[in-house]
Parts: sequence; C-alpha cells; structure tokens
Amino acid sequence: MSATHALRPGESFPGEVSRHYGGVRSVYRAERRKLATQLSTRLLALICVLGPFAFAGVLKIQSGSPADTLFGVWVHSSGFALSLVVLSFCGSWGFPVLAGVLAGDIFASEDRYGTWKMVLTRSSTRRDLFAGKVLAAITFSIGLLVLLAAASLAAGVLLVGTGDLVSLGGTTLSAGHSLALVVAAWLLDILPMLAFTSLAILLSIASRNGIVGVIGPAIVALVMQLLLLVGSGVWMHMLLVGSAFGGWYALFTAHPYYGPLVIACIVSVIWIVACLVGSWLILRRRDFAGAPVARRAGWVVPVRVAVGAAALVAFLAIAGNWGPAGDTAAKLKASIEPSFNNLTLLQQRELGRTVAPGAKLNVLPSCSRRASTPTGPGDWICTLDVFIPQPGAVPFQQTPVTYDVSVQSNGCYKAESPPSFVGQQTMKDADGNQVVNPLFVIYGCFNPL
Amino acid sequence: MTPVAAVRASGLVKRFETTVAVDRVDLVVEEGEIRGLLGPNGAGKTTLLRLLFGLVAPDDGDVELFGRPLGASDAINLDGVAGFVEEPTFYPYLSGRVNLELFAELDGGADASRVEEVLDQVGLASRGGDRVSGYSTGMRQRLGIAAALLRSPRLLLLDEPTSGLDPAGARDMGGLVRRLAAEGTAVLLSSHLIGDLEQVCDSFTVLRLGKVVWNGSAVQLRDQAPGSAYRLATSDDARALEIAEQHPHIHATRSQTGEIRLAVQGRVDAYVLDLGRAEIAVRRLELVVSPLESMFFALTSDVELDSAGLAELAEAALAGT
Repeated sequence: MSATHALRPGESFPGEVSRHYGGVRSVYRAERRKLATQLSTRLLALICVLGPFAFAGVLKIQSGSPADTLFGVWVHSSGFALSLVVLSFCGSWGFPVLAGVLAGDIFASEDRYGTWKMVLTRSSTRRDLFAGKVLAAITFSIGLLVLLAAASLAAGVLLVGTGDLVSLGGTTLSAGHSLALVVAAWLLDILPMLAFTSLAILLSIASRNGIVGVIGPAIVALVMQLLLLVGSGVWMHMLLVGSAFGGWYALFTAHPYYGPLVIACIVSVIWIVACLVGSWLILRRRDFAGAPVARRAGWVVPVRVAVGAAALVAFLAIAGNWGPAGDTAAKLKASIEPSFNNLTLLQQRELGRTVAPGAKLNVLPSCSRRASTPTGPGDWICTLDVFIPQPGAVPFQQTPVTYDVSVQSNGCYKAESPPSFVGQQTMKDADGNQVVNPLFVIYGCFNPL
Repeated sequence: MTPVAAVRASGLVKRFETTVAVDRVDLVVEEGEIRGLLGPNGAGKTTLLRLLFGLVAPDDGDVELFGRPLGASDAINLDGVAGFVEEPTFYPYLSGRVNLELFAELDGGADASRVEEVLDQVGLASRGGDRVSGYSTGMRQRLGIAAALLRSPRLLLLDEPTSGLDPAGARDMGGLVRRLAAEGTAVLLSSHLIGDLEQVCDSFTVLRLGKVVWNGSAVQLRDQAPGSAYRLATSDDARALEIAEQHPHIHATRSQTGEIRLAVQGRVDAYVLDLGRAEIAVRRLELVVSPLESMFFALTSDVELDSAGLAELAEAALAGT
C-alpha cells in the first residue's frame, strides 16, 4: 500500500474508503455518550425527575404555600400551578445552574484532563469538535428542561389534581387551557436556557477552567437578578437575558400581550449567537501548545477580569434607568383593578353566592411607590376603594382595601393585604371545604413596554 | 505520478515569545521509513511534532502530509495519520475500552472487534474494562499506542513512546513499529533516550536548540560517528592493553576498578581477532557508548569527542549519569 500521488483535501488513500471522518455527527455522538456517563448529568436527571414529586409531596403534607412566587398560593388547588411555580423557581436559579453543570465543563474538561491534543489528533476538525460539543450541550439542556417540565406536570396532576388555574388576571382557566399554556410556558424558557448554556460554553472555553464554567452562569444570573431591581427604565432590563425566563407570564394575563415575549426571544437568540461566536473565535485561534507553557499563573488576569466585570456591572446598574419607565402607577392601577374585581367575584362564587355574568364592582384604585422615585420595581402600595350600594347609605358605602404590592421590573407583581381587610389565607367554601381565599394574595402582570 | 513523502516540512519556524523553539527545520519522512527525532530536552522535538499535528500554527514554513498542505489553524483530518504528543491522555473516569471507543467515534466509529484487537496488540485486553485513573504510566502509554493504531496509521507520530514502559514493553513497542513500517507505514519517533531508538530507526534527524544539526540514515550516522566505547574483561588484561597500543584507532585504559575501557574510533573487530591470535580469551566485551550515542553527544553538546572524551562518556554512562 503506498500513496503515489499527492492527496487532495477530502481524498483518502488509494483503494480505501475514507472511514476516518465522521464530522460533527461523530463528535456529537461521542460527547453525548460522555455526558450521559458523567455522574453530574445523571444526578441532574434524577433531580429533575424526583424534585417536582418531592416538592409536591412536601406541599401535600403541609398547609403552607410558596406565596412569594407567582401562582404560589394556588399550588394546593391546581396541579398546573405547581408546575408553574417550579418553572418560576427554575427561571431564577434552576436553569442557570443546570446550564452551568451541563455545559460549563464540556470544553474545560479537555484542558483539565489534557485531552485536547488527543481529540485534535483524530480526524475531527476544531469546527467539528466545537459544533458537536455545542450540540450535545444543547441536546442535554433541552432534554433536562423537558424532563423537568414533564415531571412537574405529572407531579402536579397526580398529587394535586387538574383543578382550574387562576390566571394572573384573576380569571379561571380550564384544565385543557391551563395545560396548553403551561406547556407553552416551559417551551418558551428553552431559548433563555440555551442562552445560559451558551454562556457556560463561553466561560468554559475562555477560562479553560471547569469551575468558572459551572459556577459562572449562576453568578451571572444572580447579578442579573440584582440589576433587575435597580433602575426604572425598560431597555436595559429587557436586554438582560435573565429577564427572558419570565416572558411566559404575559400568556397568563386576562389579556395576553406579546411584546416582551418577542423581545425575550430575540434577546435570548442574540445572547446565544454572541456567546457561541465568541467561543468559536477563542477556540479557533487557540494554540494547543500545552497548558503549562501557554498559560501564566498569577493574579494579573483574574484581577483584570474582576475589575472589568465590576465596571460592567456598575455601567449596567446606571443603564438600568435608560428608556421609559416600565412600572408606573397608571399601569399598576389598570392591572390590579380588574384582577381584584375578578377575584372578588370568584370569592363570592366559592362562598355560594350568585354572581351575575359580567358583574363588575365599582372600584377606584390608587397606587403609589413607597420609595422616593414614583416609578420602577420595588414596594408599592395600592388602595382599592370599593363602592358598594347599600340600602340607606348615601349614595354608596365606601370600603377601602389596601394592598402592599411588590412589583418586578417585568411588570409582574404580588399584592398582599392584611387579614383585617380581606380575611385569612384560606376560607370555607359553600360545601364546607377549606379553600384558598382568592383575595388574600393577588398575582398579576402588566405590559411594561 | 511521482511518489510523495508522508511528511515534508520545509523552513518550519515556531516562536514562543522570545524563544525560537523550531528554527527553519526541514524534515522528510518517506513511507515505510522509521525516522528517529533526536535531541536533548528543549531541542524542539515536541514542538515540531505539535506543528506536524497542526496543534500549533507555524510562524513560518510549510508542512505537507502525503502531499496535502496542513491547515494553519485546523487539525488534520487526513486518514491514517495518528500518534500522540508528550504523554497520551485520557478521560480518567472512563475505562480504557470506552476511551478507545470514544476516540474511534471521533474518527467516524469503529467496530468493537477493532477496539479489542488494538487492546490485544498492546497487551491491555485484560485491563480494558478498568478505569484509566487506575492505570500506570506504562499502561497509559500502551493505551496511547492503541488509540493511534485504531486509525490504521499510514503515518505514525510518537513522542517519547517508550517513556514509562518496562524493557519488555519497550521491546514490544519496537517490534510493533517495525511491523507497521514493513507494511508501509511511515513512523516518526521522538526521544531523548538514544538507546530506545537505535535498534528501531532507519534514519535520524538530530535537533539542537530548535535547529537540525544532523540528518541522515542509520548507516551514515554510524559511519560518521566519532566512535564507541566498550568495557573489556580478558584472561590477560595486561597483554590486552599492550595489544591495544598496536591499534591506533583504539585507546585503552584501566578504570579505577581495574576493568579495561576501550575508546574506539571505527570498528573493534581487528583488535578482538588479535586478542584471539594471542590466545587471550575475551570474557566480556560490552558496548557502553554506541556510535549513535557518541554522535548524539557530539552533535548536541560542546564537548569534543576524541579518545579521552569517549572514555569520559563511557565512565559517565557506566556511572548512570
């Protein structure tokens, strides 16, 4: 066997089939297998399956509920609420951690084990390796998200039931409608999840350090959560990919709005593309001369990175005020008033009172922010003056109901009122069952754009 | 159609900051040839292999593998080019067998039987199911060779292949390389241990401070070598020393232990025949410094290798330094 002429690109040895090139698909298969054999991946999958059942089980044996999370008070009455609470929690912490553990070490592990030179001396090119690893990370990210969605839905339906879900507008959603919306909500979080997966990949490649890649996305998510509390402008808040996890809330309002949802998807795609392009540029230009030779130990690089990151966070905090205010008194009033109306009617129905279709309370809301600035996320107070026609009263009896409202930058809020105004968290319905008092906590969302 | 070399590198230069690791190196490895890449530590052998694998981009010069230019920023994806740089590395949490299966997958997949075959070839068939984290250095070296064999190499690039191997392992490796070369595989072996390569290679390239200081066949190297050194024990050492004085190309001395040291420029055959004619029994004639070793030292050090220098080299070799 001898090569008697120069081989052209893609050509194999004379008389041989080119079997030593599998391209992206081969790398993808190998990476999928590696990920599947790793303890961390198996542990994550186990947590994704058992976690929602454990959560539902704990809720089943206790009367409390995670009221701070949207839909939290409804976890005892609708299994769909349980799935949405799990999704809300994952949007804050779960998905960034999941992305970090899955993808944060996928490139850096080759540095840690010194295996770059082994894999790069096979037939696969850098491009193949990059694409195959990224695809494997994306596959597992989506796979775990779907697993978590399925497990949380199953846990909710099996352990809580398919009761009607109370929407973020105070209306009730049938089981079928709720299921469709819950599935849509989980699917909508795939893009921001992939954005964090891409971020983990970027950190993994840039730092060549698995710890940075694994923990980095969670730290970035934490910083984003803090930045979302600062400033009243909508522009910068919308660009922070952490806020994209909450895009689905708009689907659960009485009158769904899609602007923030579309922006969340676009922002996620921009993050994905930016992180992956950055990752590829770093990997493509890298000389694999051996880590000890190429890398210098010392504090110079970490200090520069820390200073740069601090400067960026400071800039983003200032930029949080750019653009029009998303959270205003007018928007909050326009949202909380119909929600209060709908929930009052729901309460009356549950108490066995007849409510005419389309009945509407005469409510005059007034909202103000507790801080010095009149707009932006944070603590608000809303007083709802309810005018109830009373025989003998002139002309109505005015009943004020005051809510402490915690408003997020994405326009979603939780309103709580003291029991002296709206009663206890639970009440007895017409059949004598203990049920959630719909007015105790009001969840709602308005379009911040 | 004209035959092409497995490796043709010309004018290769690689700098790391101010250090020139590879300095205008030309290298040709033909099919079926086993070429030794020799040089002391820091001579540029590993960097040269990295350049051939495309792991680092040259600052200047060209590399062709089987007549195909090697991309500056991309890894090779040419069939049959295999090997490793420095010590072979693996995923420690996986077994040797699964590691090979993964590497085979990167090449488009291989039959399970092929994995078993190469494990058997390197003597790891019984330990293939063990995690690599439990492997000794020698076992990892064997697994590295197995990973290279998976690609049915037509060009094998191995960096210090006998490092960590026991003598039997090193011998087996030599046999394996010779067998592959007999089938047409071009082999480039890098080492700073001359003894590892002397019995295996057909030709040598010697590097010093990144530059090629000698290039040629094993025969040429032996012919040009400054000499060799032996340890001699006879039935009559005093007369043996007298007879040695009659051979101008042999410098014989007594060591502190009373043994005879021979520094030989050329062949020792005529002297041994003379000893026989003088009815002096040769009880021991041991090669202490081979022609290749003397050539290596002559090329890679500033020490002049005359008779005295060879004798010093022999003493150093016997002292294990």
